[in-house]
Amino acid sequence: MIAALLPVDHFVIMTVYAALVSAFFSLLWREGRRERWKLFGLLLACLVLGGLAVAWIMYPFPS
Amino acid sequence: MSEDAPEGRGRAFAAAALAWLFPGLGHFYLRRRATAVLFAVIVAASFVLGLSFEGRLYTVEDGQPLTILATFAVYGAGLLNIAARLFSSNPGGTVLAPTYEYGCAFLLTAGLMNLLLMLDVWDIATGRKK
Repeated sequence: MIAALLPVDHFVIMTVYAALVSAFFSLLWREGRRERWKLFGLLLACLVLGGLAVAWIMYPFPS
Repeated sequence: MSEDAPEGRGRAFAAAALAWLFPGLGHFYLRRRATAVLFAVIVAASFVLGLSFEGRLYTVEDGQPLTILATFAVYGAGLLNIAARLFSSNPGGTVLAPTYEYGCAFLLTAGLMNLLLMLDVWDIATGRKK
């Protein structure tokens, strides 16, 4: 299926998820192409960088 | 159109029902066709990726109250969820698959996004949102 096209990689899957969610909310909450792209970029950056920050904070903890 | 007008409320119910049936259909009914197509692509892609990642189509389980919320969320995807339950060879997902948790997250998110779309078309049809 489609997932076979994606590597089983946490970062890639997290980024795809972030892109879908960002696209959804930018369409839902904003009107106009420019405003939507701005919100999309902001949400995508927050989700991906936030995910990396949480991963970095959790890094010292054993599994 | 006023929310209190019978035709406005009927239109809102129709739009919300269509939105539940398939992502974007409510917006298409309200003549927001470009947005409808984009919503359909986003929500359907999320749902299909969830299935593809071997996520679980939740059902209510005794002693597991959170499965009530999860089931509600997944049923938000409308016909996508029903079709997947009917035709998927693995509706329960594969717990041991490395992508299982991601699959569940994608499936739950698709259903919740579609529930938000139902609220959105309701607001558009009743004039609360331009």
